Amino acid sequence: MKRFDAIVIGAGHNGLVCAAYVGLAGLRALVLERRDVVGGMAETSEILPGVRVPTLAHTVGRLSAKVGRDLRLRSHGLAFIEPSVRVFAPRPDGGATVLWGDANRTVAGLGADGTAYAAADQTVREWASALAELMARAPIDLAAPSVGDIFSGLRLRARTPSADLLRVMPMAVRDLVGEWFKSDALQAAVAARGVLLSGLAPRMPGTAGVLLTDLAGNDGGLAGQTVFARGGPGAVSAALAAAVRAAGGQIRLGAAVTKVRRDGEQARGVTLESGEEIDAPIVVSNLDPRTTLLDLVDPEVLGPRLGWRAANIRARGVTAKVNLALSDLPAFAATRGDAQLLKGRVLIAPSMRYLDLAMRPAKFGAMAEQPLLELTIPSLSDPSLVAPIGRGKAGKVKHVMSVIVQAVPYTSREIGDVVISTLEEYAPGVGALVIERQVITPRDIERDYGASGGHPMHAEVALDQFYAWRPLHGYGRYRMPLRGLYLAGAGAHPGGGLTGLPGRLAAQAVLDDRGRKVKA
Amino acid sequence: MVSGAVNRYDAIVIGGGHNGLTAAAYLARAGKRVVVLEKRKILGGATVTEEIYPGFKFSVASYVVSLLRPEIIRELDLVRHGLTVLPVDGTLTPLDDDYLWRVDDHGATVRELRRWSKRDAEAYEEYAVLMAEMARFVKPLLGETPGRVGSNPWAALAKRFAALPESQQTTFIQLLTMSSADFVSQWFETEPLRATLCASGIIGTFLGPRSPGSAYVLLHHYMGEVDGEYRAWGLPVGGTGAISGAIGAAAREFGAEIRTDSAVAQVTTRGGKTSGVLLESGEEIRAPVVLSSADVRVTLGRLLESGTLGEADAAAVSRYKFRGSSAKVNFALSGLPTFTCLPAGTTDVYRGMVSISPSIDYIERAYDDAVDGRFSREPYVDMGFPSFVDPSVAPPGQHVMACFVQYAPYELAEGTWDEQREALGDTVQKTIARYAPDLSAKVLYRQTVTPLDIERTFGLTEGNIFQGELLLEQLFSGRPLPGAGYATPVPGLWLCGSSTHPGGAISGAPGRNAAREVLKSMRR
Repeated sequence: MKRFDAIVIGAGHNGLVCAAYVGLAGLRALVLERRDVVGGMAETSEILPGVRVPTLAHTVGRLSAKVGRDLRLRSHGLAFIEPSVRVFAPRPDGGATVLWGDANRTVAGLGADGTAYAAADQTVREWASALAELMARAPIDLAAPSVGDIFSGLRLRARTPSADLLRVMPMAVRDLVGEWFKSDALQAAVAARGVLLSGLAPRMPGTAGVLLTDLAGNDGGLAGQTVFARGGPGAVSAALAAAVRAAGGQIRLGAAVTKVRRDGEQARGVTLESGEEIDAPIVVSNLDPRTTLLDLVDPEVLGPRLGWRAANIRARGVTAKVNLALSDLPAFAATRGDAQLLKGRVLIAPSMRYLDLAMRPAKFGAMAEQPLLELTIPSLSDPSLVAPIGRGKAGKVKHVMSVIVQAVPYTSREIGDVVISTLEEYAPGVGALVIERQVITPRDIERDYGASGGHPMHAEVALDQFYAWRPLHGYGRYRMPLRGLYLAGAGAHPGGGLTGLPGRLAAQAVLDDRGRKVKA
Repeated sequence: MVSGAVNRYDAIVIGGGHNGLTAAAYLARAGKRVVVLEKRKILGGATVTEEIYPGFKFSVASYVVSLLRPEIIRELDLVRHGLTVLPVDGTLTPLDDDYLWRVDDHGATVRELRRWSKRDAEAYEEYAVLMAEMARFVKPLLGETPGRVGSNPWAALAKRFAALPESQQTTFIQLLTMSSADFVSQWFETEPLRATLCASGIIGTFLGPRSPGSAYVLLHHYMGEVDGEYRAWGLPVGGTGAISGAIGAAAREFGAEIRTDSAVAQVTTRGGKTSGVLLESGEEIRAPVVLSSADVRVTLGRLLESGTLGEADAAAVSRYKFRGSSAKVNFALSGLPTFTCLPAGTTDVYRGMVSISPSIDYIERAYDDAVDGRFSREPYVDMGFPSFVDPSVAPPGQHVMACFVQYAPYELAEGTWDEQREALGDTVQKTIARYAPDLSAKVLYRQTVTPLDIERTFGLTEGNIFQGELLLEQLFSGRPLPGAGYATPVPGLWLCGSSTHPGGAISGAPGRNAAREVLKSMRR
């Protein structure tokens, strides 16, 4: 039987990134994936024969450029599509807020708030560059710090306005956009990303930090990223898988890990569902921290206190995904017939009040009557997604629509209908265009993708599960309580989203402990 | 333009609230010539006792004390000046058909908790110890002057943090970042216990128990002590006004001059430097140093001639958040209300507080009402019966009931507080009557103090009882102006009220810290 230096549990994008990096450094890596496809939540799947949708994640613009270069993802077939429009936020009154990749174009369209937008965009780019650097590095060690460490943490970078950032990061996103803009609609269009993929409401402290770290993950502008991978997000996973193999790594599908085995305090390998045991001195988990610590690790290793802390990691997902196959392009009244506006992210968040009410049910595990929607119509930019096979249902499909929905309960039959009825107000007749509908609830995310609580970010993105204390204070630097066990997933700094950074930083931790350098 | 005599003082203190008086006392104690100028006819600001209804003395605003710094009691000799604080014993959370009653007697509380959950009873011990540790860790900060980010107080804090055991580091991070609901739910499963504990996290701040940041407000309310006992709350004999009375007496004894009925219209400047104040009467009083215990918006927004502040500073002042969300309802009662969930004849309950907080959802819904721009239909109420332990505040056999209420948002979506004042009073009375049906029959008089009344009477912007929300960005170095501490952009003008670190409640810390900084600057 082959010997491996490192086992990576889970072929989600961070697991693949980690495996590729350790492979490039000369370690023999084996990636074990429970499902029969790689990619985890970065997946493209068939909704009808020849008709493909971004199953969960739909944009890939936060993928670290450095990771892309280091792993030569372009040469492994990854191609990006970047529409010039980033956000189109229609209102029931027929108006719309449009954010473009080119800030000047946005400013020109904003009227009264234009100058304010230009100023805020500039400020945010400065903050974002400091944050981006912080996110690309392992957190400082708070558990055993030198004061210097603390200060490099506090100051972020000497030349950045750390006082500014320390003021705004803990703020409520509603207050931050309120400091910037008069227009309620513009406030909402920007603030939405401060609560997307979390259970937080815009009045909750820390949501400003969520927005800023999201913005820091791309070109840093206020508009946020809107980048598609040709062939859908699954193409990112495919390119990463190729990079893993090119680096000498192996990937096994249908291989569910049930336990991390150990010799005393040292990891020694894993046990599969089949009972098969595979040895390796390094085990990297790309699963969420709760599952990693509570299901894979021997409770004796954690002890009662750490077990209790792990059980208290908050990961209650309130986000659902609805994918639609459409017989035609829906007519959003506010586009005034300009379909180009639909090439970016279409945001149903017409006012701050709407955001308040959309997220309120998250506190009670209920369904929003009018949810926050972030939808894309990737087929507009990537026709390859709609290549119907046969004359059946599939033959009628012209476009696919991908909808992120908040706030939703753990599971509910209503979600699909609520999305359609919400959309009807902005795109009358959209319901009649639906040929196929796929609804993925938090329960499905937990069951099918293994994310504890069905949280797409593995652990709630909030101040208390942030930076050096994500997922837990004392374990924020990728090393888990069992020597040789590492965390590479969204539950580690800098958190969720298709960035590849937790995977890269986990690989760095692995190689540091091995006295090796990260090679690219 | 200016008439009347022109006095000379080393320093003028605007506002005779407990912080203004504290600052004045410390300055006078250091031999400075100080005058305190209070707009109202009586001293105390929001730390005041008033006979609103004949024979009944209401602590109109603040009603219990816990955070008053022991060093202030000592240094100003407040006990000799008549300060007596009686302990508040216990908290009852009434429910429709049951109750949760925690008292100072630890054994009794643990027995009560075991009735609900053995697990919670055990966790309660660990929790109590941990919170006391946290209070001890944070306490030194109360006496510090926060500098710019990265300044010495930060370094000191970092060093002390690093020295904490990991479990306490974790808890400290959680207290700074978590919601109070999530924080307490880590330990406890009993819903009324969770709700009653996390309710301390919403006081005076426009946050729900599930809003991150509320855990800090919880800690803020754990920092208190009475006679060295942590987490203890007390009732000053004679009402909270007795605290200002004692501090005022100390200030006078040290030689401070205290003038009531002297509303300040403007802080005057000459050549960009503070030169004194102009009273509404037209009288001008000169002094090179002015300390204002009014909040930062009033001081730098209203009392300064517009244009005195630079654009950036003016912007910082205007974005500082107040958003009053609390109200107070004071009752004069012919007798004590009977909580029907308790065995008949139970009287010890009146020695403590009664908290209407049956569940976290209940408080969260109360918050959502405020988000919708209306007062809570079923509010969180924290009430006490000062006359039970201190008969001096009510006629024999009759009683005062003080009710702190949340949420009552300063900004209403519809109507005005003048129109809705009594509707709020009725709602609070109804909310309590659900658990004490005989209340209404015993009401002799009811005073409802809305956020608008708090602003009008005590000059607190938007009726915020802490002179600014206890939000993370408005703490320590961020309170009130980033890195400024007690100084302002105007040389000679200082802040010494709850707008400054460490914020609200009857602590005296802002006044004491500000006086220290002023005296330093005078030595330079």
